[in-house]
Amino acid sequence: MCGIIGYNGFRNADRVLIDGLKRLEYRGYDSAGIGVIGKKLNIYKEVGEISKLEKYIPSLDGDLGIGHTRWATHGSVTKENAHPHLSGNKKIAIIHNGIIENFKTLKEELEKQGVKFRTQTDTEVIAHLIEKHYKGNLENAVYSALNKIKGSYAIVAICEDEPGKIIGARKESPLVIGVGDNENFLASDIPALLKYTNRVIFLDDGEMCVVNKNSISIFDENNKEISKEEQLIKWDFKDAEKSGFPHFMLKEIYDQPDTVQRVFLGRISEINRNINFPEKVVNLINNNVSSIHIVSCGTSFYSGLVGKYFIEKLTDIPVVVELSSEYRYFGTKKEQSLVIGITQSGETADTLAALKEAKNSGCKTLVVTNVIGSTATRIADAYILTQSGPEIGVAATKTFTSQILVLFLIGLKLALLNNRIGADKLYEHILDLKGLSKKVRQVLDKSEEIKEIAKILKDSKSIFFIGRGINYPISLEGALKLKEISYIHAEGFAAGELKHGPFALLTKTTPVVAVVTNDSTYDKMIANIGEVKARGPQVIAIAEENDTEIEKHADYVLRFPSNSSILSCVSIAVILQLLSYYVANLRGCSIDKPRNLAKSVTVE
Amino acid sequence: MKAVILAAGEGKRLRPYTENIPKVMLPIVNKPILEYVFDAVANSGIDEIIVVVGYKKEVILEYFKDYKKAKITYVIQDKQLGTAHALLQAKKYISQPFIVLSGDNIIDKNSISKLISDNSIYSILIKEHPHPSKYGVVFLEKNYLKEIVEKPKEEMGKFISTGIYKLPKSVFTIIEDLASEGIYALSSVIQTIVNQQEEVNTILAESWMDIVYPWDLIKVNETMIYEAPSSISGTIEKGVTIKGDVLVGKNTTIYSGCYIVGPVVIGDGCEIGPSVCIFPSTTIGDNSVVHPFSQIRNTIVMENVHVGSNSLLKNSIIGKGTIIDNNFSSINGTTTVEIEGEFKKLKNMGAMIGDDCNIGSSVIVDSGKIIGRNCKISSMKRIIDNISSNSNVM
Repeated sequence: MCGIIGYNGFRNADRVLIDGLKRLEYRGYDSAGIGVIGKKLNIYKEVGEISKLEKYIPSLDGDLGIGHTRWATHGSVTKENAHPHLSGNKKIAIIHNGIIENFKTLKEELEKQGVKFRTQTDTEVIAHLIEKHYKGNLENAVYSALNKIKGSYAIVAICEDEPGKIIGARKESPLVIGVGDNENFLASDIPALLKYTNRVIFLDDGEMCVVNKNSISIFDENNKEISKEEQLIKWDFKDAEKSGFPHFMLKEIYDQPDTVQRVFLGRISEINRNINFPEKVVNLINNNVSSIHIVSCGTSFYSGLVGKYFIEKLTDIPVVVELSSEYRYFGTKKEQSLVIGITQSGETADTLAALKEAKNSGCKTLVVTNVIGSTATRIADAYILTQSGPEIGVAATKTFTSQILVLFLIGLKLALLNNRIGADKLYEHILDLKGLSKKVRQVLDKSEEIKEIAKILKDSKSIFFIGRGINYPISLEGALKLKEISYIHAEGFAAGELKHGPFALLTKTTPVVAVVTNDSTYDKMIANIGEVKARGPQVIAIAEENDTEIEKHADYVLRFPSNSSILSCVSIAVILQLLSYYVANLRGCSIDKPRNLAKSVTVE
Repeated sequence: MKAVILAAGEGKRLRPYTENIPKVMLPIVNKPILEYVFDAVANSGIDEIIVVVGYKKEVILEYFKDYKKAKITYVIQDKQLGTAHALLQAKKYISQPFIVLSGDNIIDKNSISKLISDNSIYSILIKEHPHPSKYGVVFLEKNYLKEIVEKPKEEMGKFISTGIYKLPKSVFTIIEDLASEGIYALSSVIQTIVNQQEEVNTILAESWMDIVYPWDLIKVNETMIYEAPSSISGTIEKGVTIKGDVLVGKNTTIYSGCYIVGPVVIGDGCEIGPSVCIFPSTTIGDNSVVHPFSQIRNTIVMENVHVGSNSLLKNSIIGKGTIIDNNFSSINGTTTVEIEGEFKKLKNMGAMIGDDCNIGSSVIVDSGKIIGRNCKISSMKRIIDNISSNSNVM
């Protein structure tokens, strides 16, 4: 019934341990404790709730530690009897599940040798035994100690003199290793780990492991090193905050039928054929806008590129899309120009700096953001919210589709203000917008097919995404999503550009994802797919439902609901998001928190 | 006291509406059934609810993530084996007597309060019913439960079981015993308890409503709409007539010439009119649009629905995201439907259209016909039969 957790990595060990112990609460316990090695080994124990223990421990710095929930067997429920247990010199700490059958004999033997026992538990025997055998190498000491022991156990040991490693061993009690990036875990149960990783190695009876931050060694019962395979754990339902989804990213992808709707909540009137924006916004864009600059970073940059197609097509106003970090120093800043900054958080440092720069040069500034009250909304002359709700996954999904829809609405409003669009044509666009939610639902219904394609892509070293027109920035975003979360090298290209360079990188083992829509680019895309196929790679086409031609050219086809409007790019974006998600999931990546990335980048 | 609410079921008989959401999330007056149950339970003094979820659980978790009236704990039933099996999933959270109820029946808070304050170890809420044989028929002896007969072949008895019980923790032992014999129904567990000479007290519920088939949604909607508050937000243009209790959500516009007779509930972000007539007891979900000269009576229009000009919707259900073009008509009348080998007469039934359909101009749907989810019906068609989901009528 006891629970075990061990952590060795870069986070604050006490936080991880307490969190892990809380996830083990369901097993039942009467006391709990943790041991963390920072400057030295510190032990904290408490009888009763884990929250009580949590209140009582100070903030510890130390990135290696062990934690335990105890269900008393030998010895009563007291603070002393709770784990971890210390050796005589207080340098070695261990936690243990199971029962040591020969503990009385071992205890008597040790007592004869002068060892003083502090508790009535069988576990303490192991701590003293390890100390007795310790000659500067913890795993050897554990191995020797365990040879003396009869009974069942899962034990985890740490030693102040070797602060970089955790030793685990099991016999008839469960113990699993959780494999992370720059961090590793040990636990009696998978749920304790699932918040951090879904890659695990199961230890078998008699096996022992040495868990370092970046490596794991496993030894069999003869202390000979062996290799074992990692396994992927399918997410279990544990986390209500994700509404039952295994990752925030997947939840946020599935939010999209709703969020694409929320973008135009209160902003379009179907009967009146109008787009309603706050007065401030209307005043800002209703005044002789001669050119538009969109400034943004990352995914927001790509939504800006999509917006360029929308706005230019609807209004004929030239749009320049620039990276915030470049525009700031090198962009042309004309007074009559409208500068639209796109930032999900409203705190992206580069975009804030670019907006300030633009404002100082007399440009009109408008911000598209998801966070009301953010710095960007205060800097700019006016702002439009994407109304997507909080996005927690580092990889942007629902805010991308919402951003491009806001830009579409801006395009429509500009077209209306400049008399560039007939009121009835606007009505058709409104109907398209309103039908979008259904189309996204239809894409989500096909997630199984996308999962199959992910299996084909998951072992690739490099993947290309190609498209023309509006599908070019969508391809860029598809590639960005994939590299962000799956760590596979991916590049998006304008399909026509392949022959001007990227072909050199194309080999048989570089799958190409081609976005094909039934518009004026269709024949050219088919020709591009032909060029790619001639060089051997597999082609995965993303094409319209009623496109019967495409399967003659591509190896695999993923379908999106046919839609004559330019808004089909939203459905395509959702397919690419799901594809990246499933590839990363199959590779066991940390999807919601990819390595080296932060949700909002507040440094320049 | 804790309450266990069983909400794992799929509700196959309510297809197509349950293809994307669990039965408990079907809307009654723009609010999921389960929210009525949560509210009744929370208002009767229960402070912790354990919800057994399964089929499409994400929809439930997402909707109630900010629910404040009671603490909610979710447990999962992976396979929907039966009600007792569902209850068993909640075992680890139960240490004292508790109540158990089904998430797809609407119940009032007074009945729950009566059940909670009852002193017996076992008690059950029962209800008088004109057609008891559809349910677990309950026979009494001096107010104590004598027998439950599940769905008897012929009409008998007078009272039915609401499936709402107060039980002691020890019931889990009996459930586990019976589960090992492959018996997973809660009513069988209760019968076993009665057979062991335990006294099961019976309490009469005040109001209890069951939703089994799509047309039950209309009936329950009709009743529950009286409880909706009446308030007008949004924009009401000049020349609109509103009579009776009408609720209009925020960001909704009612254009000139509309005539609305309550009880009617219209959600947020809708556009109605100009010159649309809405009669009792209609509910319209968020972000729906009704175009000029249409008439809607006693109908459930879910969210994001588009109703074209000159359309007539009567005693009908329109699933979310469905687009109906101009001149739609739902024929009303008496119809016979076949359910599980039995024929049942329905009076005054209109059309039942699933989610995400695309209905062309001038389509007529015969009385009581069900059009599945995601269907496409071309213009000028008359639908005389049920249409299964994802079909294309050309």
